[in-house]
Amino acid sequence: MEGNPRVDSSLGDYLVELRGIVKQFPGVLANDHVDFQLRRGEIHALLGENGAGKTTLMNVLYGIIKPDSGESYVKGRKVHIRSPKDAIALGIGMVHQHMKVVEPHTVVENVILGLKEPRFLLDLKEAASKVKQISERYGLKVDPFARIWQLSVGEKQRVEILKVLYRGADILIMDEPTSVLTPQETHELFSSLKTMAAEGKGVVYITHKLKEVFELSDRVTVMRKGKVVITRGTEGADERELAKLMVGREIFFHPERTARPPGKEMLVIEGLNAINDKGLPALKDVSLVVREGQILGIAGVAGNGQKELAEIIAGMRKCTSGRVSIGGADVTNKPSKFVFEKGLAYIPEERIGVGAVPTLNVAENLAVKSYRYRPFSNRGLLNREKMAASASELVKRFDIAAPSVETPALFLSGGNIQKVVLARELSGVTATEPPKVVMASYPTRGLDVGATEYVQKVLLQYRNEGCAIVIISEELDELLALSDELAVMFEGRIMGVLDRDRFDPESIGLMMAGRAAEVKGG
Amino acid sequence: MMDPSVIAQTMLVIAVEEGTVLLLAALGEIYAERSGVLNLGVEGMMAFGALMAILTMMATSSYVLAVLVAVAAGLSLSLVHAVLSIHLRTNQIVSGLAITILGLGLSGFLGRREGIIGRPIVALPDVSVPGLSAIPVIGPAFFDQNLIVYFAYALVAAMWFLLFRTRLGLNIRTVGENPAMADSLGVNVYGIRYLCTLVGGALAGLSGALITLGYYPAWTEGMTLGRGWIAIGLVILATWNPSRALLGAFLFGGVTALPNAFMSVGYQQIPSSFLQMLPYALTLVVLAAASIRGLRKKVAPPAALGLPYSREE
Amino acid sequence: MRVASPFNLNLKDIRLIRRSSLPRWESILFSLSGLVLAFVVTGVLFTIVGVDPLAAYWAISQSFANPILLASTIERATPLLFAALGLVVAFRLNFWNIGAEGQLYMGAIAATGIVTLHLTTYPFPKVIVLPLMFVTAFLLGALYGVFPALLRAKFQVNEILSTLMLNYIAILLGNYLIYGPWQDPGSHGFPNSRIYPPEALLPSIPYIGGSSGFLIAAIASVVVYIIMNRTTFGFELKVTGDSVRASRYAGMSYTRVVALAMVLGGGLAGLAGMSFMSGIMGRMKENFSGGAGYTAIIVAWLAGLNPLVAVMAAFLFGGLLVSGDTLQITLNLSASTTNIFQALVLVFILASEFLKKYRIVWRGVG
Repeated sequence: MEGNPRVDSSLGDYLVELRGIVKQFPGVLANDHVDFQLRRGEIHALLGENGAGKTTLMNVLYGIIKPDSGESYVKGRKVHIRSPKDAIALGIGMVHQHMKVVEPHTVVENVILGLKEPRFLLDLKEAASKVKQISERYGLKVDPFARIWQLSVGEKQRVEILKVLYRGADILIMDEPTSVLTPQETHELFSSLKTMAAEGKGVVYITHKLKEVFELSDRVTVMRKGKVVITRGTEGADERELAKLMVGREIFFHPERTARPPGKEMLVIEGLNAINDKGLPALKDVSLVVREGQILGIAGVAGNGQKELAEIIAGMRKCTSGRVSIGGADVTNKPSKFVFEKGLAYIPEERIGVGAVPTLNVAENLAVKSYRYRPFSNRGLLNREKMAASASELVKRFDIAAPSVETPALFLSGGNIQKVVLARELSGVTATEPPKVVMASYPTRGLDVGATEYVQKVLLQYRNEGCAIVIISEELDELLALSDELAVMFEGRIMGVLDRDRFDPESIGLMMAGRAAEVKGG
Repeated sequence: MMDPSVIAQTMLVIAVEEGTVLLLAALGEIYAERSGVLNLGVEGMMAFGALMAILTMMATSSYVLAVLVAVAAGLSLSLVHAVLSIHLRTNQIVSGLAITILGLGLSGFLGRREGIIGRPIVALPDVSVPGLSAIPVIGPAFFDQNLIVYFAYALVAAMWFLLFRTRLGLNIRTVGENPAMADSLGVNVYGIRYLCTLVGGALAGLSGALITLGYYPAWTEGMTLGRGWIAIGLVILATWNPSRALLGAFLFGGVTALPNAFMSVGYQQIPSSFLQMLPYALTLVVLAAASIRGLRKKVAPPAALGLPYSREE
Repeated sequence: MRVASPFNLNLKDIRLIRRSSLPRWESILFSLSGLVLAFVVTGVLFTIVGVDPLAAYWAISQSFANPILLASTIERATPLLFAALGLVVAFRLNFWNIGAEGQLYMGAIAATGIVTLHLTTYPFPKVIVLPLMFVTAFLLGALYGVFPALLRAKFQVNEILSTLMLNYIAILLGNYLIYGPWQDPGSHGFPNSRIYPPEALLPSIPYIGGSSGFLIAAIASVVVYIIMNRTTFGFELKVTGDSVRASRYAGMSYTRVVALAMVLGGGLAGLAGMSFMSGIMGRMKENFSGGAGYTAIIVAWLAGLNPLVAVMAAFLFGGLLVSGDTLQITLNLSASTTNIFQALVLVFILASEFLKKYRIVWRGVG
């Protein structure tokens, strides 16, 4: 349309164009002037590690997040997407990583949930045949009258996709879909997506797996720290280069990380296999060794088995085979109480709700594991005075800012709550001696700069004093700064363990994206 | 010794009559619970409805008005429970118990105050369905009843259809399973919960009316005899499904007929207590069955039952 | 102009801000105003129906003022207190035990069983009858309470629904026994157990009258308080009640905690049942409890799950129950009139609970 300022004919056949998207969250610039285009009939991979900004960008497109600035164009027209309803009306559909289905309902019921029409009578047969039509067209096999709880994870995902297609979407956003699929299901998903693209639909495929980028996509955009690093055709791209771009950074070492000869083996994991809550394999033959006075960092995009690994080490999940030992003692599949009596400190991923109970006060939170031992209790009777005294001492030692030890934890800041967790875990079973092994899951997540620095300092301090420490984190910078050795997890496997002198963005990037690289030397 | 077919018929009649009272209350409670609201106030609503029905009947000699007032009585009590449970997000158990106590208290208080204890009214006449009521044994039991009973039969079908074949029903079930998701899809969670809770109250009131207008046409204190609680158990046995509630209601209703049946055949009351336990034991089995992996989703309560919902949490 | 209706009112016009803390005096103020409102509304209701509210309130107060009625108040409060104590423990764990009524019945059955045994086949030495009754009532109640606890721990069975069903089974069992094998031969077919002999009755409190069961229950409340605040089990109860996941992380076993809690909860409810027999009725009859198991839920809740406050709360409720009879005799009102008052108090306090948690900010309509 000549002269119409809202339609830019230079857009050609772009289904989606995002220009200059900026989104700032407290403390982090998630999207830094991002440009992104999706062509008709293409599968466009969005590659990056944790926190790169991929999901944020797509949330902007889908209307879940409002950008601070930038413009969005869909099918040539400038749009303001204020909510998912707007996005759906424009033909955009998003399939999330964590599925939103209602278990007892049938597939058809889930698909037609929330639609305006039909308003009163549901013609389930008609809807079911329409669902069947779509599912046959794109190879998304599923029985329309099956109940969701009867379906496998892969089938549940198909329901999500059907939901999106039923509403007439021609722009699909897939967010890390294969983390829950079997190889066979992955294969079927890919062929469905290719069919859709062949018909002229556009697919944005968020992933961190190089294999998928090459198998599936026509073009790939790599994002890092909120910026687009490159957008190019997939054909002919060099995966090493992509990996390097994904992860490339300068590596800064933490000043307090002094060289230290490693001591004897403290945490030994051999051949660990486990399944996750969905019944899929979470860990495949994992073996790791952590020595006294060493920090092992575990890198990798979230969802590749890190959570399950931490839980197994801490005795909160069972493994199907393999061995875990702490300080020589076998703790495989023993209850968590046994494991911490053997010297394991566990700083859980969920600070509030697991690590600390908000309604309990500081002293009680500090005593939540040690209460059953002397001197805090004797033959079933609690000694609150000793608990309070020990709590005061810990508060002082760990510099916890709380009005008193009787203050409920919910009044403390995030950083101070983490200090409570640290104080409790690092002072061991009787609150006086250090643990042998520390398992820290995402210990600085959500903390401000000061609290983050404190946590890192404390972890290093205990490392220097001889603890064996495992840190799982999504902040690669943090791991690179603190770790003596870095292991990268991908799809439940350890892709490789790098020694400090061999920290190299390319290798790390490759491993995080699914290509085995160097194995630890020396 | 009485003729066995006469005994059987009497038992069936009682089963249908008692059963229908339970059925009405249970149907209402099914809707409330399907939307996620646990309503333990059924007994109180039933008692209040029973009283208001007979009072209105005495004052106006109009069955229609009596029924309407009873429904309104149940509705008003359930409104209190709804506000407390839905908007104020209080503990639904305590709130429900409070309503039961309130309903029982109000009915006892007003009943005595108005001096109607023991005063009889003319019960609702039975209307027999031509042809069907002539079937031996089951005919008179099912097809020679008052209009409210026939209404209840129709209600089972209507409520089943509404719950499983309409958009409203789908929304109700979704609100009861996952209110956050329903909310994100634009479903009015609060509105649906109010609707279902009020329906529960209305039907509880109606079931009370059936007691006084239909079967015990003179009022005494405490005449509901715990039927409201039994209805709540019935909802579980019926796995929150209106059509199963029909069967379960007759089962529960039937066992109340057992003591008399046993006596008339020459046995004493004794073993009937154990038979009376049967429906409750069965309900327990249903509850336990929900934990078996394969059965879980078929017989489990709505996932959000008893949990208040608010958007930010 | 948009009209505000309850259906679109929730989040667009009213902002609810969760309070982070509430000074103690404000909290008490809210509860008290709830109480006052209940008084006022009941008074209005009375006036409408033609009853003098002041006369009614005077009658209620007599439960505490008149010495004979006071003895009755203490008697009726005893089972409420026992049961409420058991519920305080269970509720602290977020285990919604609605089955106090059934556990209470089991306690009564146990006590009556011992008495029947004593009077028929095995006469026990008189001194041990009462202690034996205590022990068996506690044990049977505990067993009946542990069952739904294990159902929950092992099979995730919703305890509200399971304990409700168990109530009926217990009541029916009790009925069977007093209509059948334990029926008093001198009762001519009425469903009564044999009359308890003096050695099976709880002695009265000297001077005040009223069952000494209340004193025992008061001691029990102190014991429960100690258990909840000064033992490792009490600590586990608190942690598990506040966060099951954190308790797992801390190495606590949910099964163990809930089972122990219900041993205590069911056992105390069993004692409540026994105190009905030995303290009030002197024999087991049909419908002897008057729904005490359910009333105890209210008592426990109003006491804020505090075992010491429960003593006062049970005492007040006992008085309310007695006043029901007083109102019937003096003003010809139904005994269930006090139920209205009870319920209104509850409703208003429930509403005030909400105000304690949230502050309401109205943001104009239209």
